[in-house]
Amino acid sequence: MNIIETHNLTRRFGRTEAVHALDLAVPEGSVFALLGPNGAGKSTTIKVLMDLIRPTAGDARVLGVDSRRLGPREREQIGYVSENQQLPVWMTLRQYLDYCRPFYPRWDRALEQTLLARFDLPEDRKLAHLSRGMLMKAALLSSLAYRPKLLVLDEPFSGLDPLVRDEFVRGVLEVSELGEWSVFISSHEIEEVERLCDWIAVLDEGRLQFAESTEALLGRFRRVEVTLQGGAARLEAPPAGWLELERTGDLVRFVATQYEREETERACRERFPAGTVAVNTMTLREIFITLARAGRQARKGAAA
Amino acid sequence: MLPFSIELKPGRPVAEQILFAVKKAVVTGQLRPGEKFPSVRVLSQELKVNPNTAHKVVAALVAEGVLVTTPAVGSIVAERAAGGRKERAELLGAEAERLVVEARKLGLELDDVQAALAAHWRKLGGR
Repeated sequence: MNIIETHNLTRRFGRTEAVHALDLAVPEGSVFALLGPNGAGKSTTIKVLMDLIRPTAGDARVLGVDSRRLGPREREQIGYVSENQQLPVWMTLRQYLDYCRPFYPRWDRALEQTLLARFDLPEDRKLAHLSRGMLMKAALLSSLAYRPKLLVLDEPFSGLDPLVRDEFVRGVLEVSELGEWSVFISSHEIEEVERLCDWIAVLDEGRLQFAESTEALLGRFRRVEVTLQGGAARLEAPPAGWLELERTGDLVRFVATQYEREETERACRERFPAGTVAVNTMTLREIFITLARAGRQARKGAAA
Repeated sequence: MLPFSIELKPGRPVAEQILFAVKKAVVTGQLRPGEKFPSVRVLSQELKVNPNTAHKVVAALVAEGVLVTTPAVGSIVAERAAGGRKERAELLGAEAERLVVEARKLGLELDDVQAALAAHWRKLGGR
């Protein structure tokens, strides 16, 4: 089952299209990262999912329910923390937690205490007087204490120092339940999420660039280097899966996007008969940049 | 704190890296037979990795006989976890491949590599 699904989801603000015909499927049990530069449409997507704004066209389903029909029964199972969380800043943290608790039958007092200690939060201070990092931890605490089935985090790490970020991630993992616990997290920094997530989707200018499991991505991408040693080389009309094919002197380099040892080696022998082939794995960041560049070129080509 | 040394690097699947680190720790004696192995939750929190990944690692270690699960204690390091010489040699796989690739880039032959290896082996006091 998919914990989140969108079909042809579109949201316009006046004449600007923030999200365009988005089809997304977030498998239950996954930690799914929605990546993209600022202004790509990530927050808009999340706001539609949380029913804070309505779609212009298409729809979104969260926990199997249309986002426009999310009720208390679903809300009890969803934790939502956003970068621009609005909290009642006139309350102390204790008052705020007292206020939240009755809304959630599954609120776990022991977990609340564990997280308070772990996050090192002062209960009797007014939220207005908490630092940004503390406020984010307070918001996270109030969303974790009822052990939500789905955790939605909108740019949770931006502006947090490394120590707070570490505490934040540990807090999130504290409530993990194998198989039936899902996290949907948006970020503009791949490093922030790469160890945590098992799925990645990239959004750019409101459009989905790709969505794939990190395992599949790491498996199929390789940087290949061929040292020609004076032999022949055929660089024109590269195979469909080769990107960024280039040559300097005796060195040919390209990115194989559908790497399979035998197939790639065979193709190399065909084009560079005397060359020695070296194959290197790529980081998610490198894969991300390669795909972004290819996407931009494709769009330019289409526009021309 | 985790009872084995590990430094996660980007570029390789995280599960693969943890598996390798655990097996290496068993071979080097960092993890001893009968020792308690961290739970999925502890593993995921300490390494800040997805719990699904941590679960996959533990399941693979059990399947390969490195860990055994006991109902009361959780997972412990198996008696014969270190495996035979062949299993231990397999841990060198990735390193050996890298060495071969580098040697080929430099235009060296197998003899050259073997000689270089032997020299280093002796230098570090091996026989």
